[in-house]
Amino acid sequence: MSKELKNLITPITRRRMFKRKNRSLLTLRISATILALLFAIAIFQPFFYTADPAASDLSLRLQSPSLGGALLGTDALGQDVYSRVIAGFRWSLGIGTVGTLLGCLIGITLGVSAAWNRKRLRIILSRVIDIGISFPYLIIAVTIVTVVGRGFWPLALTLGLVCWPTIARVVYAETLTLREREYVTAARLFGIGSIRSIFTHILPALRPTIQVVAAFTFAELLIAESGLSFLGLGAPLGTPTWGNMLNESRLYMESAPWMMFGPVTAIIVTIFAANLLGEGLNAREQSRSTRVSQ
Amino acid sequence: MKAVGSRLLQLVVLLGTISTTLFLLLRLSGDPAILLAGEGAGPETIAAIRIEYGFDKSLTEQYLIFIWEIIRLDFGRSLVNSQPAFGFVLQYLPSTLHLTFLAIFFNSVIAIPAGVWLGAKPNQRRRQILSTIVSVTQGTPAYVIGLVLIQIFAVWLGWLPSIAGTGTWAWVLPVATLAFALAPNLIRVVAASIEDTTRQDYYRTAKANGAAPNILLIKHSLPNALLSTTSLLGAQFAFLLSGALITEFIFAWPGLGLILVQSITNLDFPTIQATVFVVAYLVFFVNLIMDQIFRFADPRLRRSQL
Repeated sequence: MSKELKNLITPITRRRMFKRKNRSLLTLRISATILALLFAIAIFQPFFYTADPAASDLSLRLQSPSLGGALLGTDALGQDVYSRVIAGFRWSLGIGTVGTLLGCLIGITLGVSAAWNRKRLRIILSRVIDIGISFPYLIIAVTIVTVVGRGFWPLALTLGLVCWPTIARVVYAETLTLREREYVTAARLFGIGSIRSIFTHILPALRPTIQVVAAFTFAELLIAESGLSFLGLGAPLGTPTWGNMLNESRLYMESAPWMMFGPVTAIIVTIFAANLLGEGLNAREQSRSTRVSQ
Repeated sequence: MKAVGSRLLQLVVLLGTISTTLFLLLRLSGDPAILLAGEGAGPETIAAIRIEYGFDKSLTEQYLIFIWEIIRLDFGRSLVNSQPAFGFVLQYLPSTLHLTFLAIFFNSVIAIPAGVWLGAKPNQRRRQILSTIVSVTQGTPAYVIGLVLIQIFAVWLGWLPSIAGTGTWAWVLPVATLAFALAPNLIRVVAASIEDTTRQDYYRTAKANGAAPNILLIKHSLPNALLSTTSLLGAQFAFLLSGALITEFIFAWPGLGLILVQSITNLDFPTIQATVFVVAYLVFFVNLIMDQIFRFADPRLRRSQL
């Protein structure tokens, strides 16, 4: 008997439910653990250094990786690649966090107001969201960064200011269905005001949706941030960020390919963990909503 | 016609917002004349620029002039080579479009069959391997893919050139980079929508009527699944115009992305503005074409708009 057939025939037993739920929980646990670990590295970074990430020693330039010396080799200025990758965590995760928080703030405000209002405001706001979604926001971010300058805060705030359309769209759609729920209508009939209803009934119910979209936005901002640094438009030159390191490594692809491996691995692992977290949260949410409807 | 009108309104609002933001940012961030003149410019140069760009007038007056110039597509002369910025940027458009179309083409050629294969029977063990690969690679940024491809095929194996303008082979790596960056996402969407159609009533009816599995897949699942695929392709096209930014930079590809990066490095504001506008127009046209394709492909939409 094929496995699919068997799946069809066996009734949805508690055991099978458990198994399915477990898989999404496992994804969630793994990704949350990885991310927590990465954040711990970002916060307690000095403990992970094997060398000062800013110290350069030209006599040690372009050393290949070795267990005794530089773990991931050294770059063209003789700086320790491993320690610089570690230092990059604080920059990338910091910008990702600040940008995501700001984007969520704007996105939730616009999305909820658009869905809550039934009149002209809704038309205007949903148009604004449509426009924002259709345009590649990296281009706008690049242009703004040119004017406001480089550095942690300009970059984080710029990315936060441009990444909200997706969040707003998702929040808008979810709020539209939430506001038609009985308990929200009941609250309105009891004379509970809009603001209070939004804070006590809508926002808590939006939480799972926001968690999912925030996780994906975080991953996206990491890509955007390291991309901008890679182009030389994000971090100030010489700052230990993954984008900068990748940019520097391009000149030494033949003689020092190891300059690339550290940052590439860090970027892929972090983005993967964030995406996985989003998927795990999403799966958990869906398994919950099917359980409710059953 | 109504759809075109609303898209046009969107374009006007978008361009208005972008240009106003740029205008304000440029003025708020200090003396724009000094910014435009660049570091180490003498006071005479700055004064000349101030008069040439009208920075001595009042802010409202400047803004009105600025908007009027933009309506006439006059962004001023590039500060680097003093060509009119808009025409200068347009020269680089074909090469970006070329790259984008090829990437979309190969992306679809790889991803649609793979997605259909994956979506037809998602629980098979060997298909789950593909789905795992897809979800791992899905978030990988294009420039990481580009660098890894260069490292493998240009540096280690020496099979392919990594710099643009060295013949037909130079196209392979940039196109592959963009196609690989887009493919995982498309595979997922195609697979999900194929899987979705198998739960529809019409599909079950066709199956009950005894349609062969392949007919079911190609004739009943695929057309509906392609509908959502088309919308993603439209979004990917718009994304490519910015994603190509970094890829063009890596491969020194003479396109809009490279121009934008260069003009930003040189603080060449007229060119930056012209590039952003060209991209906005492109996105506008892509969306317009996508609307039409939808109306053509989905009879339900055609009926509702009559």
